[in-house]
Amino acid sequence: MRRRVLSIMIMGLILVPFLFSAVAAKTLKIGSMSPLTGPYASDGTDIKNGARAAIEVFEEAGGMPGYDKIEFFPQDTACDPRQAVAAANKLINLEVVGVIGAYCSSSTIPSSETLDEEDVIMITPASTNEKVTDRGLPYMFRMCGRDDDQAPAAAKFLKESLGAKTIFIVDDKTTYSQGLADGVKKASIALGMEVVAHEHVNQGDKDFSAILTMAKRANADVFYMSLQGYSPAAMMTLQAKRLGMDSQIVTQDAVFQPKYMDVAKEASQGVYLTYGFTDQTTPQYKAFEERYVPKYGKIAAYATYAYDAATALLYAIKAAGSTDPEKVKAELMKLDFQGVAKKIKFNAKGDSGSSYIAYKVVGDKFVPYWEPVNGLIK
Amino acid sequence: MRLLPWHKPHLLVRPNNLKLRKLNTMEYFIQQLINGLTLGGMYALIALGYTMVYGVIQLINFAHGEFFAAGGYVGAIALAYFAGIGYMDSHPVICLTASFMIAMAYCAYLAVGVEKIAYKPLRKNSRLAALLSALGMSIFLSNGMMLTQGVYDKVYPGELFQGRFDFGMVTISYLQIMIVSLTACLLVGLNLLVFKTKIGMAMRATAQDKTMSALVAIGSNRIISLTFAIGAGLAAAAGIMYGLYYGSVKYDMGFVPGIKAFAAAVLGGIGNITGAMIGGLIIGMVEIFGAGYISGEYKDVFAFIILISVLYFKPNGIMGENIDDTRV
Repeated sequence: MRRRVLSIMIMGLILVPFLFSAVAAKTLKIGSMSPLTGPYASDGTDIKNGARAAIEVFEEAGGMPGYDKIEFFPQDTACDPRQAVAAANKLINLEVVGVIGAYCSSSTIPSSETLDEEDVIMITPASTNEKVTDRGLPYMFRMCGRDDDQAPAAAKFLKESLGAKTIFIVDDKTTYSQGLADGVKKASIALGMEVVAHEHVNQGDKDFSAILTMAKRANADVFYMSLQGYSPAAMMTLQAKRLGMDSQIVTQDAVFQPKYMDVAKEASQGVYLTYGFTDQTTPQYKAFEERYVPKYGKIAAYATYAYDAATALLYAIKAAGSTDPEKVKAELMKLDFQGVAKKIKFNAKGDSGSSYIAYKVVGDKFVPYWEPVNGLIK
Repeated sequence: MRLLPWHKPHLLVRPNNLKLRKLNTMEYFIQQLINGLTLGGMYALIALGYTMVYGVIQLINFAHGEFFAAGGYVGAIALAYFAGIGYMDSHPVICLTASFMIAMAYCAYLAVGVEKIAYKPLRKNSRLAALLSALGMSIFLSNGMMLTQGVYDKVYPGELFQGRFDFGMVTISYLQIMIVSLTACLLVGLNLLVFKTKIGMAMRATAQDKTMSALVAIGSNRIISLTFAIGAGLAAAAGIMYGLYYGSVKYDMGFVPGIKAFAAAVLGGIGNITGAMIGGLIIGMVEIFGAGYISGEYKDVFAFIILISVLYFKPNGIMGENIDDTRV
């Protein structure tokens, strides 16, 4: 009998810290979804780092009233729709209040539907496909621009700034890259340019010599490269140079990653790409740079957008004083502030506006080169 | 508006004579042939490892693609080291040779270790167990590389062999010449090793009958280790060439070429060395010509259509996998 009492007491003692922690530490849970393995792991890691940096900054500035800490749950989607849905379900089970992600439009679209069933807020920092916010999901927001803004801007750039007459388009058949390539094709034809070919490669390909030889034969003015991620784009650029293809290479927002120049080396020089305009002289950007670079390395494509997305979410939760999605959404819609990447103001669809301009690769930097309204940027 | 250096009017308004410089049909064909030869050579080198291991212990070593990736990484690290201490500019050929040696030796060692850890304990069990172990090893190695080397591409330093010859509009880079000739040398060397030396004879004997060859004092464990080492060494050589040719390596680079090379080995007749070489070249060529003449979208489909149709008529592959002198 005494032994039984003793064992119950010991059991009780073991349980105490758990009960205690369950009561005492009230945590706010934020999730992120991006490819942390697979071919786009580098881009996905930038998103994770950007969101994590935002949470760190927010916590240092006093944290969330009513909560002891903010816990961050980065999930891996591997840019695979099925894994993305599984990641969304896992985040739902963890009872996160909001999700930053995903990266590939093909992951964002199905996983947002899963999150929508449980009314979880999702802010994508990187998925530019129109469908992401066009489906009318109430809790879907987008920090980056839209492809139906990017494609006309790109076509206008090809026509007005480069004076291109013929274009060779290649994409890698993802929702994002193919959607954008189709958009550019349509916009270019509308502007009177000739699309000599629209070819496709596969995700995960490293050898592009066959397609590039085809492009060399076609000898178009512009070689428009719509690929998911900087890594295949860098390989394609390098191989194009080595094969002696002289068409001007123009590419898109997924390539905005300084590693592109490391891999493609001097072949990257003079390549143009369209990407949302980020004012790098704002104090917000400078502060972000000081904080991010020493810890995570060079600022890449979507780190700034992920940072802004997480910041917007945290601000909205703080302003709402609750994690009720309806209230947080109301506060998100009210937000109007200068973020790191852009000015944040959501419209009714959940978009926050596009500001596509053309950048040129000069040295190891992307230099703002041209913008749709005023032409060349000085 | 002040024009900055990068506002220089671009080449785009090209002189008219540039427009005339288009590849004609013949040049296009030759260019694609060269592309196919380079790619096929790399596949052949990887395929040899699959086929040799299969020949000796009837195991499909799915971790083989990872040896290829590891070779690429070791090569990148070695070359970066040589570039760092400044030897690269003064003795590029020596540095490159040394990098090849280091990478091949490392991967040979890695393969022997993998065999000891993951395959040897299962040799007496069903083949399925070893196959699953191989798949697990592949995932382990590729994620290990991701964790230790990072998720970003590792860049090959310098501009080694970056020149090129232009014959009309056909471009052959020094690298392509180097890859094709080095591949040819390695293939000839392997053939000599397997068919002309005592060790090669021991390998062939082990492939035919492990117990019997053990009776005539051939250490089958040693021979199996050696087979793994040679196969991985060749894959490592392919890995460095890949890094030089494509400019960078990445942790997941072993997967797709691994599958293609496996298909090449099956196409040629798994277990058959000559078959693997021919299979590699065919897969590379079909891929490039399929993409170049029909559609880039379906290039993998063409490669596998060829595989399936050959296997339909010749289930043992082009060269067959019959137990005879050609099998390792």
